[in-house]
Amino acid sequence: MPLPEQLPTTNGDHGMTRRSFLRSTAAFTGLTALAASLSPLRELADYTSVEQFMQKYYKEMTPDEMARVLQRIEGEVQRQYGIRPHVRDYKPMDGVEFVYCLNLTRCIGCRKCVHACVAENNQSRNPEIQYIRVLKLPHGSLDIEKAEHNYDAKQVPEPGFFYMPVQCQQCKNPPCVKVCPVNATWQESDGITVIDYDWCIGCRYCEAACPYWARRFNFTKPEIPKDRLNPNMSYLGNRPRKQGVMEKCHFCLQRTRAGKYPACLEVCPVGARKFGNILDPDSEVSYILRTKRVFIQLKEEMGTSPRFFYYFDK
Amino acid sequence: MNGKSPLLPEQNGAKSAYVLAGVTVLFLLLAAALYNGLWGQPPVKPQIPPVDPVFLETTPWRQTYADLVKAKQDLSDYDCYACHDRNKPPPLRFDDQQRIVVPSEHSNIVMGHGSHDRNNLCFNCHNENNLETLQIRNGSVVKFDNIPPLCGSCHGPTYRDWEAGAHGRTSGFWNHQLGDSVRLSCANCHNPHSPRIPTRQPAPGPHSLHEDAPPHQVKSETTP
Repeated sequence: MPLPEQLPTTNGDHGMTRRSFLRSTAAFTGLTALAASLSPLRELADYTSVEQFMQKYYKEMTPDEMARVLQRIEGEVQRQYGIRPHVRDYKPMDGVEFVYCLNLTRCIGCRKCVHACVAENNQSRNPEIQYIRVLKLPHGSLDIEKAEHNYDAKQVPEPGFFYMPVQCQQCKNPPCVKVCPVNATWQESDGITVIDYDWCIGCRYCEAACPYWARRFNFTKPEIPKDRLNPNMSYLGNRPRKQGVMEKCHFCLQRTRAGKYPACLEVCPVGARKFGNILDPDSEVSYILRTKRVFIQLKEEMGTSPRFFYYFDK
Repeated sequence: MNGKSPLLPEQNGAKSAYVLAGVTVLFLLLAAALYNGLWGQPPVKPQIPPVDPVFLETTPWRQTYADLVKAKQDLSDYDCYACHDRNKPPPLRFDDQQRIVVPSEHSNIVMGHGSHDRNNLCFNCHNENNLETLQIRNGSVVKFDNIPPLCGSCHGPTYRDWEAGAHGRTSGFWNHQLGDSVRLSCANCHNPHSPRIPTRQPAPGPHSLHEDAPPHQVKSETTP
């Protein structure tokens, strides 16, 4: 019986041996696979430009360099969202140290602060990134183990429960700043701990160090509807983030460093949130810390010394 | 075909041409699949509806008399003497449990002021001698557009906190050199006849990445 190997493999009509055909198709497939594996590079331009890669550390930038960076960010946002934003680098004011007071007697757990914050600070809508987590706790204890933040009630407040919104506590002794290996997060003179999104390497050490679960990581590219973008932006605050960087509450520094109240405070329907300058004896927060009696600094025993005070007033 | 008979070169050529064409199509499909990343695509994200703008509103949920005057809106509710007689205080009626009987002309009023609704005497706050004004128990008369002193005559500590900016909503500027802070009046949040703030629907909670995650429940220790 003649074996197939002994048969002629050359076919004059096709001009190609089976071996050369297989070799060339294998090479073609291999090249396509290589191209496919490199295809993420096509999107590289979306999140890293040469200017950004060569950008200096925030604290080392001259005002001219900062102005160029802000222009680059404005251009990037316009390309991506079709809206020309107004990006500024807000500096802390002299003689100002911010403190937040939250009245647990008043809070009804309506979560309006959560969504006002998302709208003001251009957080990702899908997957959701929210700086404020409203905990529902049973009356009679402040045991975080018993807290729930996924509550889905028809009406709030529910009898027998109280609500405690938790966000960045802007600690005086912040553990997140200590662990950052590249100094991409630091505390400024007005007490706000900020993040340079262009300097963050996304190692998430700060997320692990924070006892308040206040830091959020952009696992994917943030998704913000164009019609919901807030065009009033700041470099250290609410400019759109990219994939792979940390973010967190910064007391709406684009508002508060311009003298305004934070967004979560203005939207609170019961006036449970109070914000101001603790160095000013006539401010609302000074009055509250002077006259109210019971204060809670969350996880006080950690020694973080939060600038966020929870209190009861009845 | 008999397996023992040798294949003719023509037959072999036609068969291998089919095989080659088939293999080519297969490889092209594979290449297209690799290029489009059929494998290694991120899982499809669940859709999250954008939050209802109602939850982003910063306007107070009630309008006071002063707001109505400012907005030049209908003030007929405050025109008491369109129905009542001057110089004749309206009578108050109570049921056998000493609860006030709200007359049908005022059926929009639901009384619920004070613990056990005990502040139910209209003329504790309304002025029976001039219904277009209010009165404090010390005898002073208060106009409808400035009610905090009247409320504060009973709720002293709350009035003190409100004056200091610690009670109630504020908006605008914390830094008064850069702008004004807007403070609301009592009736912007509280219905004077039933001051407890009503319950409301909460904004949607965080959406889980895993849709099948079971909801975590907590129990209250004070309610069953």
